[in-house]
Parts: sequence; structure tokens; C-alpha cells
Amino acid sequence: MATLDSLLLGFSVALQPDVLWYAFLGCLVGTVVGVLPGIGPLSGISILLPATFGLDTTKSVVMLAGIYYGSQYGGSTTSILMRIPGEASSVMTCIDGYAMAQKGRAGAALCIAAVGSWVAGTFGVLVLTLIAPPLAAFALRFGPPEYAALLVLGLVFLAYMSPTSLSRTLLMACVGLLLGTVGIDSMTGHFRYSFDIAELGDGIGIVPVAVGLFGLGEILSTPSATAVGKVIAPKLRELLPSRQEWRDAAMPIARGSLLGFLIGLTPGSAHIISSFLSYAVERRLSKHPEQFGKGAVAGVAGPESANNAASTGAFVPMLALGLPTGPITAVLIAALMIHGVAPGPTLVNEHPDVFWGFVASMYVGNLMLLALNLPLVGMFVNVLRIPYTYLYPLVIMFCVIGVYEVSHSIVDVWIMLIMGVVGYGLRKFGLDPAPLVLGLVISPTLEMSLRQSLIMSNGNWTIFFQRPIAVALLALCAALLALAAISLIRSRRDWRTRLAEVEAGENP
Amino acid sequence: MILRSDHIAGGAFVAFGAVVLALSGDLPVGTLAFPGAGMMPKLMAALLVGFGLLLVLRAGESPLLASLSWSDLPHAARTVLITAIAIAFYQTLGFMITMALMLFALTFAAERRHPIAAAAFSIGVVALTDFLFTVVLKTPLERGILGF
Repeated sequence: MATLDSLLLGFSVALQPDVLWYAFLGCLVGTVVGVLPGIGPLSGISILLPATFGLDTTKSVVMLAGIYYGSQYGGSTTSILMRIPGEASSVMTCIDGYAMAQKGRAGAALCIAAVGSWVAGTFGVLVLTLIAPPLAAFALRFGPPEYAALLVLGLVFLAYMSPTSLSRTLLMACVGLLLGTVGIDSMTGHFRYSFDIAELGDGIGIVPVAVGLFGLGEILSTPSATAVGKVIAPKLRELLPSRQEWRDAAMPIARGSLLGFLIGLTPGSAHIISSFLSYAVERRLSKHPEQFGKGAVAGVAGPESANNAASTGAFVPMLALGLPTGPITAVLIAALMIHGVAPGPTLVNEHPDVFWGFVASMYVGNLMLLALNLPLVGMFVNVLRIPYTYLYPLVIMFCVIGVYEVSHSIVDVWIMLIMGVVGYGLRKFGLDPAPLVLGLVISPTLEMSLRQSLIMSNGNWTIFFQRPIAVALLALCAALLALAAISLIRSRRDWRTRLAEVEAGENP
Repeated sequence: MILRSDHIAGGAFVAFGAVVLALSGDLPVGTLAFPGAGMMPKLMAALLVGFGLLLVLRAGESPLLASLSWSDLPHAARTVLITAIAIAFYQTLGFMITMALMLFALTFAAERRHPIAAAAFSIGVVALTDFLFTVVLKTPLERGILGF
């Protein structure tokens, strides 16, 4: 009953005309970001971050989150119509979505993807509504040892779920953790690696690193010669799937929603992993697995539902624990902190209007996206006709403005450029930059929790094994590491290896 | 010895970790009861060296260095150079002049578009963006020494 009352409070915030407008704007920009290959939701959110400085907290987070889940909707459009994933999580939709388009069922594929995304998104928000507040209340029992153990678990989980090897992921996370130590040590006042540059005293920001690695890095490794293929533009009357197609889509949407939400709770590229796993599950459960790759409806419905549910699931640890599960939620946390709101267990009690307004706006946002994505598909397809030679300079300009406007620091823009070059190099050598960003985000909290734990136990490191929650979290870490070791010994081709192959195929 | 991509990547991380350790000389590690400012960075740098070495040792599984494609390098180098020049002048010349010149350089010099099309694109985009930020979003962008 208390949840219902709180949700009503949320709707009273989310249905205010100005909040609705920013939710719509976020959904619209997110769809365009999802449609355009090479520009991910992270770049979109980072670039628009400074534009939210003049807004209040609720409006800014509603708009930025709209970009995130809107991009998951938009990503399916290019996958189905052009066989180019507009967003990494739409890789699996390319296979059967494009095959359906070639059979003249592009409209049906788009409709199933949009409805599946809406069902999954709404399901995700419903579960988030129910579990985030009790989880936040539970997390209030956490002290420094529990937080340290939770953050270590987050890193190990990320490494376990990553399509690249455990050691490569942990290596990148270490780089991020190391970069996170730059600046003044908050416990002793020591300057660390600031080289007499005043701006580095505050540390290295998340936004320049994320925009550099993902936005600029992507542009540097995409030569303008990359041609855009023929665009199939379906008519509005062709959008309705047949009764059989609806029947074929129903269960994959339900399974994808559940699977995606659960994977979304874990750190890593959950929205990408969930679509891959959903595709594998649907093919295994199908009575006609031979149809996969040739236009199977389940091959579109499952992955599209899964990636949307995962993007909503990622908000649970972000809102309830203040724990980012990936670079996108990390930037959203940064956005909240810029407005003086710390996400975590206290958010729901201290800022109920922000928390519940945000949750309610996602219900509304999912409806908006359904309304946007179907009738306006022709308009979004036209965005794809912008030549890349004009598009990428535009993105670079927004990267520069976006980073500079965060704190009016030119040092941040130089960091972005350096990170762009680093991102280009990492891609060349098959290293995933996502763990680096995650490491950078959690570094200050992990270091503080670790040091506080040792101080409060007077140097007794067994404190981590004396508290039940910390022990449980560390036991989970050990289990994951053991599983990874077993998988390495068996050297079997599990789903992560296949995911890595698919990602390598998309980004040769 | 056949050089593979992980030999280079792993070697670079070992070197980076070693440089960080060398630069951390004055940072106190402290004790377990009161860890100092150097504990975390030195621990991470040591782990970086360890994981880097692991990458080098297991480099046999990675592709040959010679097989990596660098066809996108000229595009990347041009883009970085033009962006770096723009960043260097951003605070002096301001948003409008710097970004218009950067867009023109990227579309005309780097992408060989028609100069009139490139100029129209650069000026149009910059004017529209300035209007969007200044008037609609009420967040004025950087002004240069010329006042705009």
C-alpha cells in the first residue's frame, strides 16, 4: 500500500507537463541515438549532460534515462531495415529481423520489436517498483566492509560475464581503479599524480573518460568510407503482424523480459549479453530451430524484449545501492551527483519525489516510445540518410561541448582526446573499455570503504570474514572465480566465447 | 619470436604499471591499521603489472601483430590532429569560431567535400547549436576574445 501511495506521488511528478516534455525529449533523442550506427546511448547521455544543468534533478534524470531506454528501442530499426546494429545490443536482431525484412515482413518485425520492447520495459519498471525500495532499506545495514565486498563482487561479476577473458577484464578494471586514485586523497590530503595541474586535484572525471573511450574512440576506428547500405522503408499499413506472428512472439517476449531483467541486475554489458542469451534460449526451445537465421519471429521478439528489460533492470542497483552496473548508469549517477543528489539506500527516503518521479516517468516513457517508434519509423529511417562524412564531425563537436560544459575545464577536453586515442588502441588490441569506466567510477568508494574497514578493525583484515553480509558477498566472488577457472580448464565454447565472436564480427 | 598483439598490449600495461610505481615513490603506503594515500595506487599498479605479464605469457592465443588492420589509421590521425588544434584554441577563440573552423577542416580538408558545402554545413551547424544552447537551453557556450 505504501508503495502504491509512493507511486502515485511519482505519477503526480511525472505527469507534470514540463517533466513529460523532458521525458519525450529524452525518448526522441534516445531513439535517434539508437537508430544511428556508431553513436551509442553513452555518447548521447554524455553529450546532453551539460544541457541538463539548468534543469532540476527530476527533469534531468528523466531525460537522460529516456535516452538510455529509448536507444534500446531505436537500435532495432537499423538492425531490421539495414542489417546494421544501431546499438550493440541489437546485434542479434540483425539476423532474423533483416531476414524478415527481405521476406517483405519488415513492418511486422518492427512492430513485434516495438511491442516486445514495451512489454519488457513496462515489466522491468513494475519489478523495479516492487524490489528497489526494500533492497534500499536492506542496504542501509551496509557498513564499509559490506560496501568493499559488494564492489569487489561487482568487479568479479563483470569479469565473469565479460565476453573477453577474466584477466583482460580485470586488467582494464585495474586501469580504471588506478585512474580513480588521481587527485587529492580525501583521508590524508596528499596530492596523487596531479603533476601541478590544478584541475587534476579533483580527480579524473567520468564524463571525459566515457565520452573519449566510447564516443571519440568509436569515431576514430570508423573510417568515413564505411558505406551505408540500402534502406528498406516500410509503409504504415504494413506494420501489423499476422495472428500467427503474434502467437510466435508471445512466449519469447515473456521469456526475454524475465531473462533480461535478471541479467540487467548484474554488472557488465547486461543489455548486450541479455539479447545474446535470449536468442540462444529461443533457438534451443524452438520447435523449428532451422528457421533461426531465416526470419524467425522469436529471433526478433526475444532479444529485443531482453535488451529493454535489462536496461531497466540496471536501474535497480543504481537507485537502491548507488552501484553502477556499467558506464551508462555510472554517467547517470554522475548526473545525479552534479545536482547534489547521491543515489543509494537513502535516495528513496531523502528524495522521494526524484526516486518515484523517475520510476513513474519510465512507465510513461515506455508508452511514449511505443507511440513514437511505430508511426514515425519512416522519419527515423531518414536520419540514416545523413552522410557519415557530415555526421561524425557533428558528433566530435558535441563531444567537445559536452565535456567542456561539465566543469568549464579545457583539461577535461584534453583528457577526452587522450581517452579517444586510448579507446582506438584498445579496440585494435581487442580490449573492452567498459571495465575501465566502471573501475574509475567505483574507485573512490572502494578505496574509502577498504581503508575505513581496516581503520575500524585496527588493521585486522579478517573483518571482511566476521560480518555475515560481507562473507556472503565474498563467497559469491569466490564461487564466480571458481566457475571461471573451471570454464578455462575445460576450454569449452560457452556463450561468452560465442558472444565475443559475434562482437568481433561486428567490429572487425 | 613471432610478435602477437597481446605481446604489445601486455608489454604496454607492464610499462605503464612500472611508470606509476616509479612515480609513487613519495606516496606513503601506511600500515594495515592506518592505510596511507599510496596503498591503493601501488596495489593497483602492481596488479596492472601482474595482469600485463599474464597477457604477455598467454599471448599465443592472440592474433599476429602483422595481421592487425591499420587502414583506418590515417583517418584517425587526421581527426585527432584537427580536434587537438581546435581544443588548443577553444578558450581563446570561443565556441563559434573554433567549432566552425573544426567542422570545415574535418569536412573539407579531411573528407574532401566541396568547399561551399563544407562552409555552409559548418556555419549552419554552429549557428543552430549556439541558438539551441543560448536561447532554448539557456546555457551559453564559450565566448572568445572577440566576444562571440
